[in-house]
Amino acid sequence: MSKLMEWSIQENELLQEKIYHTVLDPGLNLYILPKKGYNKKYAIFSTRFGSIDNHFRVSGNGEEVISVPDGVAHFLEHKLFEDEEGNVFDRFAAYGASTNAFTSFTNTTYLFSCTEFFPENFELLLEFVQSPFFTEESVAKEQGIIQQEIRMYEDNPQWRVYFNLLSILYSSHPVRNDIAGSFESINKITKDILYKCYHTFYHPLNMALFVTGDVSPEQVGAQVAGSLASRTFKPLAGIERFYPTEDETVLQQKITQSLAVSQPIVNIGYKDNYNNLSGRELLQRELTMEILLEMIFGKSESLYNSLYEEGLIDEKFSAGYVAECTYGYTLMGGETRDPEKLHARILEGIEGVRKNGLDEKTFHRHRRKMQGEFLRSFNSLEFIANNYLAYRFRDIDFFEIYSLLGDISMPAVEKMLQEHFQEERHAISIINPV
Amino acid sequence: MLQVEKKTIPGEIDVYVLPTEKFKTVLVSVVTRQVLSRELASKTALLPSVLERGSRDYPTYRDLMTRLEELYGAGFSSDVLKKGEKQVLSFSLEVINDLYAPGKELLQQGVSMLQSVIDQPLLENGGFKHMYVEQEKEQLAKEIKGLINDKVNYALERCVQEMCGTEPFGIFKYGSIEELEQITPEHLYNYYRQLMAENPLDIYIVGELNPDEAFKIAEDAFARANGERRREMPPDMVHNIPRDVRYHEEKLPVNQGKLTLGYRTNTTYSDDDYVSLLFYNGILGSFPHSKLFQNVREKASLAYYAFSRLEKHKGIQLIGSGIELQNYKLALEIIMEQVEDIKKGEINREEMENTRRGLINQYKIIADSPYSMLSLSLDGLLGGRQEGVDYYIRKLEEIDVDDVVAAANKVYLDTVYFLRAEEEVKA
Repeated sequence: MSKLMEWSIQENELLQEKIYHTVLDPGLNLYILPKKGYNKKYAIFSTRFGSIDNHFRVSGNGEEVISVPDGVAHFLEHKLFEDEEGNVFDRFAAYGASTNAFTSFTNTTYLFSCTEFFPENFELLLEFVQSPFFTEESVAKEQGIIQQEIRMYEDNPQWRVYFNLLSILYSSHPVRNDIAGSFESINKITKDILYKCYHTFYHPLNMALFVTGDVSPEQVGAQVAGSLASRTFKPLAGIERFYPTEDETVLQQKITQSLAVSQPIVNIGYKDNYNNLSGRELLQRELTMEILLEMIFGKSESLYNSLYEEGLIDEKFSAGYVAECTYGYTLMGGETRDPEKLHARILEGIEGVRKNGLDEKTFHRHRRKMQGEFLRSFNSLEFIANNYLAYRFRDIDFFEIYSLLGDISMPAVEKMLQEHFQEERHAISIINPV
Repeated sequence: MLQVEKKTIPGEIDVYVLPTEKFKTVLVSVVTRQVLSRELASKTALLPSVLERGSRDYPTYRDLMTRLEELYGAGFSSDVLKKGEKQVLSFSLEVINDLYAPGKELLQQGVSMLQSVIDQPLLENGGFKHMYVEQEKEQLAKEIKGLINDKVNYALERCVQEMCGTEPFGIFKYGSIEELEQITPEHLYNYYRQLMAENPLDIYIVGELNPDEAFKIAEDAFARANGERRREMPPDMVHNIPRDVRYHEEKLPVNQGKLTLGYRTNTTYSDDDYVSLLFYNGILGSFPHSKLFQNVREKASLAYYAFSRLEKHKGIQLIGSGIELQNYKLALEIIMEQVEDIKKGEINREEMENTRRGLINQYKIIADSPYSMLSLSLDGLLGGRQEGVDYYIRKLEEIDVDDVVAAANKVYLDTVYFLRAEEEVKA
């Protein structure tokens, strides 16, 4: 007998959006945001398995701790697109859908969008993500493709300057390694390693689904329940992930590389020092830091404008904060004619704001801007879905951003200003022209 | 499907309103166009960045940015696009619809800021503010030189330059450093006045609002005296059957070689058989199920990416792929073989139907994004052919293998460009 599905419905009056949520046996979280009138339907199937999850153990008796080569999560993402019958892309194409996937430091996400045949496409998504099929031959073939993906990034200066920075900001946390791994590490990947990781991280308990567009929650829910019921899952007590103890200070303060670029490119980072944060506390930290960075580096602020007028930055200069459960950092940078001078001016700029303090009116203006931008972002189905799950995996409710922004106070921002920018926690990465 | 309301307001400005209830925002975009030429390209490209630095009411960039923040983080952007042998200059504002922020009148205030940037530039001594012009010249020069920082695009652009060296299309969208250096604040301002008075000027408004209300907002802000405005632009130079294929190699310290092929399609957006060309491009290389992705990547494992794309107004198709230096010959052979196969009609039913569905899907989702809606209208304007989504879907439903083969046989390889490392550096 099938019992009625239990939904919790969360309504946001300001956004005029409703989210339906249910948990399906054996523990898969399903979220649906109906968008009336949209032609596009967009669905993502995500697992909490990213490039940093290279050292883990399944909870329970006698399970071993496993270490895997760098780049496994990304490799696995590539390989799921192929099974015994061939290429998954073709099957989506037959229903006019466009499919893709991406791997980050913390998650792997499979997606499709379509306008027709939603149930058929959705079935394909559920099916291919839950049907691993790896052979030694197909693994070898994929190595060639991923090698070229790595080569492409080797020539991408924006990518290099960023990953070089992470490699000196952190001494042992795996966030310091490239998401795709290296030629050496991917050559060590075997089908057995892929299966082991698959059966650990692709358990429904470690995954979530988000569907948006003009869809009916009941129908989508029934389809997912049917798909799960047709499979058997071993109970999963939990996954323990191990990260090395990270130093408070950076590994090294400066790294440079030469590439064929027109002028130097710079990234400056400040490492945050929390150990494990999630939920509202983590979101609060993220938003507080984002407001602070807006107040220091925003385009309406004097620092940005004087750097721009001196020709030290261009309009692509940016500053942002990354808040993951096991690590966090501030990142700023862009192209510049003089990396050392820009570096010095940024440090002076931060020091200046610290001395002079923050202005209440400016604080309110930036906070309002961030609230407005959050609202504007709700035009995009992809943006809503991708962010919702990425935040959910950190136990954060994405919808709460708007109201929580309203709760952030000036003293909290002041406190961050005084604490965050520590000399020994900052590093600079430079790409110089050849 | 997509409703478009049009009204011409004083000043011979066409206003297009695209009413839709889907979005939380209203997008207003003011668009003008210029013929791509060596003399004007840098000037045209410099305009948006100079205007964005400050206006009479908001004399500094800080003033403008502060204003946008006050308007709940309104989005403002000015941009130069190259579409065929035209430069398209656009100034866009996106604000939260007043329905979601009652009583704030964000649209009215936002449009007033946009109008200030476009129609009341900050002047001194009969020209734009000197300092802004000089600083923006320097920034644009960096931008021109910075093309090389993105190797994928650099390779595509270089192929186009080699291919169209003697045609306007060979000009970079931001012009050249040499032309840029000649620009003075006075000349630039005079040029701007002329451009705004004589070239086509169109306004697009996308969002949940009443068309009459939208027309009034546009008219109140942008109407001006009628004058000598051109309503049409000269067509692009299109048809071209190259005598020989040209081969170019460029050496740079890179890790991955970038193979780029430039084709003349002899079909453009304005033609009745444009959809056949679009279909051909789909079968060849715009999807993961396409021949290029399947054969270069999935079967031969030579590349991570292998795609084809159209420059629909100029009638050019570019194929791009990132490969190892030693695989140059093999990759080129496989790519050319895919093109030849289609010309011979070697297209299976699956490829036809998958491409048809994929393209129809792309047209259907246009209505889900204000920027896609704008982009479709703009293509119509530039191609002199304003067709709606329904037209394309109908055409796509009707196309058969013969149509695709016919379009494919009008396509000629013109240039092969290879960006490569000096020597084999890696084992």
